[in-house]
Amino acid sequence: MLDIIRKKLEALGADAWELTEIEKRGWEFYFIRHRLDQNRVTEVKRIEVKLYRAIEDGKFLGSASGEIPPTATEAEIDERLSSLLYQAGLVKNPYYTITDTPVDVPDRTEPVDVEAIAEDFMRAIRSAPETATEDINSYEIFVNEVTRRTRNSNGVTYTCTYPSSTVELVGNARRDGHEIELYRFFTSGTCDAPALVGEIADVLRYGKDRLEAVPTPKLPAGAVILSTSDALEVYRYFVDRMSAGFKVRRISDWEIGKPVCENASGDRLTIEAVSSLRNSSCDFPVDAEGAVIRDRYLIRDGVAENFWGSRQFCEYLGLKGSSMVHNVRVHGGAQSAAEVRGGDYLEVVEFSDFQVDPMGGDIAGEIRLGYLHRGGKVTVVTGGSISGSMNEAAAGMTFSRELKQYDNYVIPSVTRLEKLRITGVAALT
Amino acid sequence: MKAPFSPYLDRIAPAIRALVGELGRDYDYVSVLSTDSVGFRVAISRRSKSVSNTNMTTERGNVVRVYRGGLYSEYAFNDFAPDAVAETAGAIRAELEKQFRLLARTGSAVYETGVLADEPLTLLVEKEAALLPERADLSALVERFTALSDEGLKTIPGALDCGVNGISTHISKMFVTANRFLRQSYVYTEGSIFAYAPTEDGEMRTVHGGVSGCGGVEILDGLRAKLSSLPQTMRDVLGAEKIVPGEYEIITDPTVTGLIAHEAFGHGVEMDMFVKGRALGAEYIDQRVGSELVTMHEGARCDESVTAYAFDDEGTLAGDVVEIDRGILRTGICDALSALRLGTQPTGNGKRENYAHKVYTRMTNTVFDSGSDTLEDMIASVKYGYLLRGMQSGMEDPKHWGIQCIIDRGYEIADGKLTGKVVSPIVMTGYVPDLLGSVSMASMDRVVEGNGACGKGHKEWVKVADGGPYLKTKARLG
Repeated sequence: MLDIIRKKLEALGADAWELTEIEKRGWEFYFIRHRLDQNRVTEVKRIEVKLYRAIEDGKFLGSASGEIPPTATEAEIDERLSSLLYQAGLVKNPYYTITDTPVDVPDRTEPVDVEAIAEDFMRAIRSAPETATEDINSYEIFVNEVTRRTRNSNGVTYTCTYPSSTVELVGNARRDGHEIELYRFFTSGTCDAPALVGEIADVLRYGKDRLEAVPTPKLPAGAVILSTSDALEVYRYFVDRMSAGFKVRRISDWEIGKPVCENASGDRLTIEAVSSLRNSSCDFPVDAEGAVIRDRYLIRDGVAENFWGSRQFCEYLGLKGSSMVHNVRVHGGAQSAAEVRGGDYLEVVEFSDFQVDPMGGDIAGEIRLGYLHRGGKVTVVTGGSISGSMNEAAAGMTFSRELKQYDNYVIPSVTRLEKLRITGVAALT
Repeated sequence: MKAPFSPYLDRIAPAIRALVGELGRDYDYVSVLSTDSVGFRVAISRRSKSVSNTNMTTERGNVVRVYRGGLYSEYAFNDFAPDAVAETAGAIRAELEKQFRLLARTGSAVYETGVLADEPLTLLVEKEAALLPERADLSALVERFTALSDEGLKTIPGALDCGVNGISTHISKMFVTANRFLRQSYVYTEGSIFAYAPTEDGEMRTVHGGVSGCGGVEILDGLRAKLSSLPQTMRDVLGAEKIVPGEYEIITDPTVTGLIAHEAFGHGVEMDMFVKGRALGAEYIDQRVGSELVTMHEGARCDESVTAYAFDDEGTLAGDVVEIDRGILRTGICDALSALRLGTQPTGNGKRENYAHKVYTRMTNTVFDSGSDTLEDMIASVKYGYLLRGMQSGMEDPKHWGIQCIIDRGYEIADGKLTGKVVSPIVMTGYVPDLLGSVSMASMDRVVEGNGACGKGHKEWVKVADGGPYLKTKARLG
């Protein structure tokens, strides 16, 4: 099918084209309290096409994208490609070129054993330290073998097969007829059983603690510590603001060679985009546009160093050799996790939904479980919310030397933001 | 005109029926959902323009559901050869058998479920749509969107860019069992217009407006009217202050009302959550959860919105359920398998993200009923509080009835009058029965909107719509 479409594309008269086939073979298992609710198999093939047309003697470049179903007839393929070619002439974007650098890394075609990975997940989850009062409510296991075949009119060709897995898990804890739940969504390449079991153990421990929690008191603005995957939101804010798309759209005003934060008093942030990260669900060395992903610093010692993004936006910024970013390594700070946890602070380990708006920098999240440290005393709290602005919080942000991996991000295990508003629900005692 | 049912699905229908028959030799229940949905997405702004023939609801594929020994299994695929039915059936059997062997090897017990009923039914529904997405003049649309974007840039103060997006999908779905042959075709369309501008402190603020509904590309004509309010909204948010955290009297506009409906008793009464013991709602049926003014409907038949289908992804006909009747929680919504497990009837709420995804109980239109008050009277009744406008996002907590809503902006009300002071953004949190129990006024009008998508947990994105009137209640804002 790919060859048929490629030949049609070559005959069509488009100024350029990109063709990507994504073949996904998935095994899925859904459990309710360790009993199988449903098992599923997916065998899905997606063929994506993007056509380009030079407009007004190359002053502009138009493009249109679409999918060709694998069941499409030749007539249907012709019709869809003709439509795309016409539509590509409708949008006038400033001219740019599509990827033209040959891929210099070998294809990866080693098959993924979805059966073995699924078995690893089942056995790992069942080995979690459940008790009579803290246990697993339900979980869903998704294991995929993904094969991505990338071709374009400049001769770029690359094929990569990789694993991509997800586990959604709900934990319960109960006491005296009261039951609470905690939700987790894990993504990874394959099953890292010790890491997964450790995460589930934390979930069950948090559940037990939440049963002891009292309403969060009304507090003055103060320090908030993040030590779970919610901290990813903080680092994604910086990565997003280093994207070429944000820069071109003027959402980000950061500039290469300048600090990303004025008057920084906390740790100097270093964020590295890396081509490969062990057990990441995005462990592929070539991006969707056929560009080879190279290791590079996005921010080094608090100073913007490289924007990243699609070929279109990178060219608008005059960048060469850039690519999309899929795997990120954030360097550790100056202090240990224990030192970052010094003084008074609220450590929140469960939110309803913690958000850092990459555009405005607004921070928001309802507290489901937190540990309030005041004057050497620890109180387990729930309810209320935190809010603030990353634009203000970034200056005093500190983070631990110790690192932790969450799928395609390695980040400091403990992150501290100062002067966030804490909207409590009870009087401060 | 009627949106015609997919010729492709009509072409493969005999082979799909043969596949059901072939698999019926080995399984006690077999169904196939086949989809063929085409559409577009057009996005125009000053700095980037794109046209795509795919969006989150375009798809073509099939999912087979089979039942044996108390267990339901599914096989989703999209490379179906109508002349190779026996081979396809063989591949399905073989792959599922591999899974059964793994399940046996790992000692996995089965959550045993009864067999679905298969009452005979034949149905073809083709809904009205003036302009189908596959026949739309995208050239004219791009031109109109470009003009709107340019106008937004001129009129919205400080706007760095103004984006205009349009999405339209012509959905065709076919559901086949031994006794059922259901086909439906309808179009939904949604559009949005947004702009962003920095505050004096350099913080970026966004304003937006949207249109949506069950219908063709003509729905996007409504975007022009939405642009007219954005300049003042931008002035409001650029001059906004931070709110002093606390509990306030509030009036919610229909978008915020809809967000509350969705997050409070939308997710909270999805009955697949009852099966797992994950929703507090199961224990509150026939008990008071809101004031007398709170009546809430849910169902694909409630509104001609983006999710106004005729039957769901399990072949259950669309419904209209009264979830809360004058403050009393009456029932939830249910997919077919959860209904079997709970000993109740499905409500037509079994939805998939697409053919490759599992069915869950999902919302369609979740809507509070109107009341008898005017917005002016509602504002006049507030001693001190805020009129909340514009929803950003929300998060459910069905197990504990907590709610988190991120809201664009609040307009201060003091002694029954708007003061002109604006706060933004706002995090609204609270305990759902307290929030709904405090509803003391509801306006006569009602708006239902369906822009965006809803996830279950952090995945399974589907189209939903929600709304209602202006409501007056109390909530904690921060």
